[in-house]
Amino acid sequence: MNLCSKLKSIKNLFTRGQKIFLIIMAGCFVGLGCLFLYQMRMHTYLIGDDPAACINCHVMTPYYATWSHSSHFRDATCNDCHVPHQNIIKKYFFKGMDGMKHVGYFLTYSEHQAIRAEDASAEVIMDNCIRCHTQLNLEFVKTGRIDYMMAKRGEGLACWDCHRNVPHGGMNSLSSTPGAETQVPLPSSPVPEWIQRMVGHRQSAYKY
Amino acid sequence: MEKKLKKWQGWLLFGGSMVVVFVLGLFVSSLLERRAEVVSVFNNRPDQFTDSIVSQNEKFARNYPREYKTWSMTEDTSFVSEFNSSQSVDVLAKRPEMCILWAGYAFAWNYNTPRGHKHCIEDLREILRTGAPGITPGKQPQPGTCWTCKGPDVPRLMREKGIGAFYAAKWSDWGPQVMNSIGCSDCHDARNMDLRPSRPALYEAWARRGMNVKNASRQEMRSLVCAQCHTEYYFSKNEKEKSYLYFPQDSGMTVEAIEAYYDKIGFYDYIHQLSRTPILKAQHPGYELYKMGIHGQRGVSCADCHMPYIAEGGVKYTDHHIMSPLAHIDRTCQTCHRQDAETLRQNVYERQRKCNEIRNRVEKELSTAHIEAKFAWDKGATESEMKPVLSLLRKSQWRWDFAVASHGASFHAPQEVIRILSHSLDCASQARLKISKILAHHGFYGDVVLPDISTKAKAQAYLGLNMAQKNADKKKFLEVIVPQWIREAKAKGRIVEL
Repeated sequence: MNLCSKLKSIKNLFTRGQKIFLIIMAGCFVGLGCLFLYQMRMHTYLIGDDPAACINCHVMTPYYATWSHSSHFRDATCNDCHVPHQNIIKKYFFKGMDGMKHVGYFLTYSEHQAIRAEDASAEVIMDNCIRCHTQLNLEFVKTGRIDYMMAKRGEGLACWDCHRNVPHGGMNSLSSTPGAETQVPLPSSPVPEWIQRMVGHRQSAYKY
Repeated sequence: MEKKLKKWQGWLLFGGSMVVVFVLGLFVSSLLERRAEVVSVFNNRPDQFTDSIVSQNEKFARNYPREYKTWSMTEDTSFVSEFNSSQSVDVLAKRPEMCILWAGYAFAWNYNTPRGHKHCIEDLREILRTGAPGITPGKQPQPGTCWTCKGPDVPRLMREKGIGAFYAAKWSDWGPQVMNSIGCSDCHDARNMDLRPSRPALYEAWARRGMNVKNASRQEMRSLVCAQCHTEYYFSKNEKEKSYLYFPQDSGMTVEAIEAYYDKIGFYDYIHQLSRTPILKAQHPGYELYKMGIHGQRGVSCADCHMPYIAEGGVKYTDHHIMSPLAHIDRTCQTCHRQDAETLRQNVYERQRKCNEIRNRVEKELSTAHIEAKFAWDKGATESEMKPVLSLLRKSQWRWDFAVASHGASFHAPQEVIRILSHSLDCASQARLKISKILAHHGFYGDVVLPDISTKAKAQAYLGLNMAQKNADKKKFLEVIVPQWIREAKAKGRIVEL
């Protein structure tokens, strides 16, 4: 008997009642999984490059607020600088790894008040500076002919060693930009409007 | 034969249960949003105070849960850095020369590094310097003034009894009164939580210079609430205003200006047991030295580094767990400096190490000078011969103490501390040079034989201190008298528990 028919025969081990129970359990399990992903707004991370996705949790709001008042606001999103763009696999692998790290920090309350880019992240950012400002960095001046790791070894400077205020405006931290929360689009309530109406909540919360 | 489950029925069950769970989950979300409304209850202030001084810190816990929680964390003693910690460390054991420097003064008995604010009262009771009133017969080593900084019971007492009477009392008089450790009402007006230093000495010192503390900006207040205690002070020796607390800031806050003030009024804290020098004991000129460092000069307040802000979602509050900024570099240094945490930590250590290097030299040189001065007296040196020596020793020791007593100075103002310690070392060396000339004059040309002061016990034995008696009395005091104080305070409702 091959594997496929073996698997199919498992069905016959259960009575009808057991099958119904198991199917409902499986449904509940998958439903809860979907609910979890919906509640953590997974769809916003997977589809598109909307910077609002990066402030689904409030921790990143100072960085959103400072970016949205910077020159980079017009043309560059978070993803343009903070994830690699060599190919789609690299992009989503990095996004997934970084995202999971952030979930970990968020759930364990271990975010720093002054958030800094880690080395891996700094490498990506510097590559992206050079990616957009190619001609300037590779032809007019030679500052872009190195990467962040070379800068760290002292073979040159990182972009932000000189451009200190780009794009988040010098030093900022959670505690030094408390007003940032009021400057950013807040995530909408996970409760859909029809339920809100049903339970008698006249205006949907959080929609400004 | 039971009915077979059809394929579409299976899928319907699966899909149906999935949808039901999902929608139920959405309703749960709605419920949780309603629950979140409850949180706003805690933004209200359930307790309203009509009195500006509320001594029991626990009474603020409901109104200010975050501040209260972090404040109570000053009980924690787990922080350790290269030079200091939040633990009580026996400094005399680490630096036995300091017994010699303080010979003839209670500091030679016992001197520990300070723990967090929450320990201040138990530490004051336990330190040998406060003696064992009720056990040891005779005059108490400290006056009532000694309680001045120990918590919000003090402003209450000063209001009830009068400022002068508070200072002039015996130390033991306030034992059953001062129960709540340094807390809310020491720095805040309980009615509205405005920053408001509560100790009169600060207001009086400012008034003598024609300034009013009440006109200080909020940013200045964030340091002044600390400056009301972490500063140089002295107890008046004038009989009319017994043990009145003064800040010697009238002519300025530098080491020289304060020395000039003391010289002018002919003040000294004690006569040195060995060298007979009228010594100035620097208390803890933390505020003065902070003002002389670059952070102070740029207007960074004490609270900016020692009580950094914390953001929790939309709530930003001040961390009331007052401690070394090195414990949370991401909230302190890094809110302004972009270097990584380890670099910043090493920057601090580097400055501290350099100051410490000179400090170690000063303590060796100055303690030797005191011992040699005693030797000169024993060889028959006259008052007029010794006068310039004593003047140099007084200068040297004042500078050394001013530089080290506030604990944090080697980072608060590294250049100033190095400068002060250099002068201290210079004065001590000059004194030793003068002593050797005096000895030569009296026919002694060899090296003065120095006693073995390699440990605290040996140094104290050399000074003839009966530490066993003091320790035994203190032990008995803590076992008998202190529980009486606490019982009395509980009965009178001076302590509340959460």
